[in-house]
Amino acid sequence: MITRRSFLKLSGAVAASLSVASMFPDIATWAAGGKVEGKADFVRSFCEMCTSRCPIQAKVVDGKAVLVSGNPDWGATGGTLCARGVSGQSQLYDPQRIQKPLIRVGERGEGKWKEVSYEEAYDYIAKQMQGIKEKYGPEAMAFGCRKGPHMSYLYTFAKAYGSPNTHNHESTCPLARTVGLEVTFGTAGLGLDYGNCKYIVSLGRNYFEGINVAQVRGVMNCINKGGKLVSIDPRYSLTSAKAHEWLPIKPGTDLALVLALNHVFIRDGLYDKDFITKYTEGFEAVKASVTSYTPAWAEKETGIKAADIERIAKEMAAVKPKAILDWGWRTTFTPEEFELRRAIIIGNMLLGNLEVPGGSFFSKGPGFINGLVGKPVVQGIAGFKTPPFPKPAKPRVDGAGVKGHPMELAPAGDGIAQAVPESILTEKPYPIKGYFAYRYNPVVTMPQTNRVIEAMKKLDLLVVCDIYMSDTAMFADVVLPESTYLERDEGFNDYSGGVPAFTLRQQVVKPVYNTRAHWQIFKELSEKMGLGAYFPYTNIDDIRLTQMGGKQDLVKMGKEKGFVNFGMKPLFLRDKNSVAEFVKQFPDAQSLVNEQGYIDKYLTNLKTPSKKIELMSQVAQNVFGRGVPVYRPIQIAESGQQLFIQGKTGLHTNGHTHNVPWLHELMPENRLWMHPETASKLGVKTDDLVEMASTVGKQQVKAYITEGVRPDTVFCYMGFGRVSPGLKRAYKKGVNSNLMIPTSTVPVCGITLQTAGVTLKKV
Amino acid sequence: MATQKRYGMLYDSNKCIGCQACSTACRAENKVPDKVSRLQVWIEGPKGKYPDLITDFHRKSCVMCDSAPCVPVCPTGASYTTSDGVTLVNEKFCVGCKYCIAACPYQARFLNPETGAADKCTFCHETRVSRGQKPACVSICPTGALIFGDMNDSKSDISLALKSQRAVKPKEHLGLKPKVVTVPNWRGGDA
Ligand code: SF4
Ligand code: SF4
Ligand code: SF4
Ligand code: SF4
Repeated sequence: MITRRSFLKLSGAVAASLSVASMFPDIATWAAGGKVEGKADFVRSFCEMCTSRCPIQAKVVDGKAVLVSGNPDWGATGGTLCARGVSGQSQLYDPQRIQKPLIRVGERGEGKWKEVSYEEAYDYIAKQMQGIKEKYGPEAMAFGCRKGPHMSYLYTFAKAYGSPNTHNHESTCPLARTVGLEVTFGTAGLGLDYGNCKYIVSLGRNYFEGINVAQVRGVMNCINKGGKLVSIDPRYSLTSAKAHEWLPIKPGTDLALVLALNHVFIRDGLYDKDFITKYTEGFEAVKASVTSYTPAWAEKETGIKAADIERIAKEMAAVKPKAILDWGWRTTFTPEEFELRRAIIIGNMLLGNLEVPGGSFFSKGPGFINGLVGKPVVQGIAGFKTPPFPKPAKPRVDGAGVKGHPMELAPAGDGIAQAVPESILTEKPYPIKGYFAYRYNPVVTMPQTNRVIEAMKKLDLLVVCDIYMSDTAMFADVVLPESTYLERDEGFNDYSGGVPAFTLRQQVVKPVYNTRAHWQIFKELSEKMGLGAYFPYTNIDDIRLTQMGGKQDLVKMGKEKGFVNFGMKPLFLRDKNSVAEFVKQFPDAQSLVNEQGYIDKYLTNLKTPSKKIELMSQVAQNVFGRGVPVYRPIQIAESGQQLFIQGKTGLHTNGHTHNVPWLHELMPENRLWMHPETASKLGVKTDDLVEMASTVGKQQVKAYITEGVRPDTVFCYMGFGRVSPGLKRAYKKGVNSNLMIPTSTVPVCGITLQTAGVTLKKV
Repeated sequence: MATQKRYGMLYDSNKCIGCQACSTACRAENKVPDKVSRLQVWIEGPKGKYPDLITDFHRKSCVMCDSAPCVPVCPTGASYTTSDGVTLVNEKFCVGCKYCIAACPYQARFLNPETGAADKCTFCHETRVSRGQKPACVSICPTGALIFGDMNDSKSDISLALKSQRAVKPKEHLGLKPKVVTVPNWRGGDA
């Protein structure tokens, strides 16, 4: 027998615990009901174990879900999936899920509940929310969730109630990239074509652990076809393990490296001059700004050899435009994050990689295609007619998108999540008294866990809608259980990337417990509050048909295939072949094609002030005083401290999956990675307990001694060390990374920091 | 012309990212109880001296020996090899004596706590392969690290892959002729 013990011993990097298996019943056998035979049905849907939302196909035998796999007709994933997706079934049948609506009876956080009907729960929420509105005004309620197709239901509910304070989780994840792209291109809707690329430089982007299946396949394809992957990361991740080169950069200095690459591109005339002249603004300012950022200078900042920087720049330029500097994900190490994202974007533009295979591209949804062709040739997702929303009496507490506010450039549609606990605690700019968290768990996903808990405790009303008794739900007044994605029908989800496409979530099995779908919950709750007119649909068929503009055939296609597409091949506006294909399908677009065979008018008609790609941004200059990125050294840790960083594992998602039975079994806890030098100074061995302290928190952690991290840095996977006893498996297992991170908001883009200086001592 | 099939599998450890989708899919497909496994992927590393490190990936499952030592030791005939070269256990005949478990040098077998019978990878013979589908682990793998098929068919994916890849047989010195073979890590590792 392959024992779990030996697995764990060898897989120190991934799994970590030697604790005996917990007492949950056997999900595999339960789901199967002991039966092997039976008529199998396949239901097409899409996953919700992370935000990538991969198209799936679930096999159902005798009413039980038995295998979740990838949708075989979805080309980008080819029927494959990751372990989280396959484990959806163990979450579905998990007895630790919230099974009925709950109202708190004990002290906040004490864990005493009474089971109630949905009616009672709605009545309670409606009454309390009404009270807050009367006493403080509707803006005293804030609403948060993850980003996704469900978001519009929460936001509609919030706006109908009258509050401007809606946010999603983006400011604790990729918001800097969003703002950087928007400032440069007038839109954040861009993607990277990994599969056709010849050279990928990842700056902390960890493809093989922050798994998005289509991207994993793209990067692997690039490698298989002889492309090169360079991983720049203070830690040796599984992406570093697969990369051709791993460069353990000093945390917080990525900007210096990128500026030096840009320096070499310009100094040696390696950049795409035609591209820069035709499509961009502000090159001279960029050129002037990078003169002093030599590789020799960057070597001192980053710890990466000047010769390596020179070489990488030249290697990238040699295969341009099929070279990508990944503009990344959740790797905010310093307050200079907005500068970093823009410098990366500028690097890509110097390589001229926009709108070519193997480079970067604008997402092409129905709106984009229809706009290009000049008439509606592709169906877009249509909405319902609703009454106008009441105008909020006060501006948002986070200032996102508010003219003249320092956070003006942060998109109001995303908001700044960490501003909410601050407003609760400081009552500035005005107090937040109520919070509605829909499938959102700020207690572990926002920095400074203890401060977030303090804020949650201070609220007059906390409503949480979730599938588990999350760390935020444990402090709630009312908990509404949602059906898991395998139990609920949903509307269409815009999944356009290279081509327009919508995916459809479909019920695989009937709800196992007394749970409901979000579109039903928000409709029913709104009706209780006299706001039903904002949710004018009757049922799911109504939602789907309206979304598809009344076209039954599209709804049918969605149900059968799990997605709707329009038979288009990926369009790259600066690629002759794909433009020719496009014009064949939409002859009206012929007039747009220039003598080179490109449709590049779009690139000089962007939604930026100059209509071009803005390498130098006047907008950024105005709000920030820095039109092009410049470098300011940042000290993360004091002397005697270690740099604490965190990252993703392929087995868990944020604060979401740690209690899912099969995923918990594979990775029940995390440990603190430290280099042998660090360990010997402290006198600790693997699995010894270490006390880790920052300015905001302290915890005991298990050490994992490894060469796979810089000697000045310690690392752990995020999302562990859970505080909710309702998560019986995940409770108190491992290191809570956000307990260490002080609350902060990065200038311009509003993202939170994800690093801290920490002191360590042996326990 | 229907020739006898001979199933085999290739595991390319270079393409493997240790994501465990395969082992989880195996659990779901074969109703493997939670505390035992037919398949695990071990991540070994990082090894070496900073910053010159490597990480190796290993598939741990039954390797479908051609000369399977687990079969002749079975007193009841529960362990047997199919005509297409797949070693299986007939749980109806198994008395749980564990002889086969002791005989397997790959530690691939275990006693299934639900059925009380010996259990291990079956190449998903009954539920998938005999119906013309690929094994669950192969079809789920996001990176295409697993290739499965009929090694007697010179045009099958597996035959083509075996021709073009530098594959090694685990514990080859034992002479058991496994039909699950590995492409070792190009960055070094334990080829
Ligand atoms: S699914 Fe594929 S990549 Fe993932 S662990 Fe298994 S073999 Fe490796
Ligand atoms: S690996 Fe073990 S169980 Fe599989 S055929 Fe060989 S000896 Fe039998
Ligand atoms: S445990 Fe079962 S299969 Fe194995 S040798 Fe004994 S009877 Fe045969
Ligand atoms: S072939 Fe089937 S039984 Fe064997 S490891 Fe793969 S999924 Fe499991």
